[in-house]
Amino acid sequence: MTRKISRRAALRLGLGAGILAGGAIVYRETQAVGFDKWARWALRGQATRFSAASRVALAAADSYDAELVTAVDALWRAAEGPNLQNARVVVKPNLVDYIPGRPCFTAPQVTEALIRFLRDTARVKKIIVAEGMTFRRDPHAILIETGYREMLERQRVEFVDLNYDDLVKIPLRGGYTKMDALFMARTVTEADALISVPKLKTHHWTQISASIKNLFGIVPGIKYGFPKNTLHMQGINAFLAELLDSLPTPRRFALVDGIVGLQGDGPLFGAPVASGVLLGGQDFLAVDATAARLMGLEPQALEILTFMAWAGLGHLDENKIALRGAALSELRRTFEPAPQF
Amino acid sequence: MKTLQRADGGWGIASMDAESGWMTAWAVWALADRDMAAAQRGAEWLLATAGLRVTDATQVEGVKKVLRIDATITGWPWQPGDAAWIFPSALALLALHAAQIRQHPRVQEGIQYLLDRAIPEGGWNIGNPFMVTGHLPPTVESTALALLALRAFGVENEITQRAARWLAQENFTPTAHEWTWRALYGQKVGAPRERARGALQTLQRADGSLDGNVFTTALGVMALDL
Repeated sequence: MTRKISRRAALRLGLGAGILAGGAIVYRETQAVGFDKWARWALRGQATRFSAASRVALAAADSYDAELVTAVDALWRAAEGPNLQNARVVVKPNLVDYIPGRPCFTAPQVTEALIRFLRDTARVKKIIVAEGMTFRRDPHAILIETGYREMLERQRVEFVDLNYDDLVKIPLRGGYTKMDALFMARTVTEADALISVPKLKTHHWTQISASIKNLFGIVPGIKYGFPKNTLHMQGINAFLAELLDSLPTPRRFALVDGIVGLQGDGPLFGAPVASGVLLGGQDFLAVDATAARLMGLEPQALEILTFMAWAGLGHLDENKIALRGAALSELRRTFEPAPQF
Repeated sequence: MKTLQRADGGWGIASMDAESGWMTAWAVWALADRDMAAAQRGAEWLLATAGLRVTDATQVEGVKKVLRIDATITGWPWQPGDAAWIFPSALALLALHAAQIRQHPRVQEGIQYLLDRAIPEGGWNIGNPFMVTGHLPPTVESTALALLALRAFGVENEITQRAARWLAQENFTPTAHEWTWRALYGQKVGAPRERARGALQTLQRADGSLDGNVFTTALGVMALDL
């Protein structure tokens, strides 16, 4: 005797099979990292979509001779920068190297304006300018060649070479790489706040280099070598997500030097582009997504940003970034993209 | 040093570091004339450690195009699992030389690695001589250490001569780091030491250090008995 199943039962069976098949696909696709991690990232990513928009402020600045302290002050207020009164603040510019004619480093005028703002207006307790150079091991040569030594002496601000600082082992929260801990410079782990001050540029590995890529300099070369390639071996995007997720400083801000940007073959050999902009905010991902839009790049096409957005490390979507200050449309310049291979 | 030697024969950067790495070469070099047994165990770790090697023909061609290197030849990494770089490779060669290991295939490959990665105009950057669209400039520490390593194994050719000429030129930013490396190489080739000594004494801080950096200060002591 043949038994017919009802349409409802068939639908239930089909639905059950679909759920099982979908589950099997998700399980298979997430095996490399583990389903629990994948689910944690995905859930946080979904939760972030419902969180408040991130503020990013833009300021037009045509030249390094402009009154940059006023611009930084206005930008900080517009972006609702954190209260840093009596805080120990590490200012981290991008001093990757000095190559004549290549604006691959953060201009000292921008860092100096930030120092003056932090000291005179934000009334911080202590400012340290710190960097762990990636290529050359001699920070003093780069400080001299870039004009930083003169500026730091003028402002009486200490410089710390993060490559040789005392080390602290910090746990990694994300699980995006195979590393569960990372050595980090004590100057960073003991700071109350970290301010990433990158140069706006294209990059031949990550397409864009701004506030998140600049964090690479806070890990010590004494452990990870020069150019810290051990960390690249973890996957650049995954490692940067790990670094952003695990930053030990409770307060942070990004101030991007886009007055003269670098286009083409960044991080070193690109050409200057008069992009005339400063931008900043507390959400590094939102700042970098805005930086990409300023460069004529689509953030959703940049893997370095989309993965972090998916994992809930900040906002990427235009409708979740509250822009303040100057209009993005008036400041946008199309950067020549980094070469792809 | 002996207390910090790990069970695998290598050294990490400090007691808190659970992984042997590039510090092993320094330790082997330092211990070779004091405790050859410890140095030999370190040397074994070095011989068992190599930078990533590319063997796939398509990838080899791709790397050649982007970095202008022969990726089938490798040296030593900063840490296991990484590609090879000039500094740890030259340092490993010097350590193995001090440990009386001079004919091993890894030594020969290390020498070939250094020669392959030289910048055509002279000297060495930190790894490859070229990156995507641009020639990388030489750095003083890579060039001085590579020259010291090749000299230890009696390698002298156009590549080393060009590098030595670059190292001898006067157009550099006069920091303690730059002077120290030039003095360290100059000491080995019998160059006059007065200028370097004078420059480093001027740069020496009141606390006796060079740049407040243990590494640069130690090199300065090695080079000039400051």
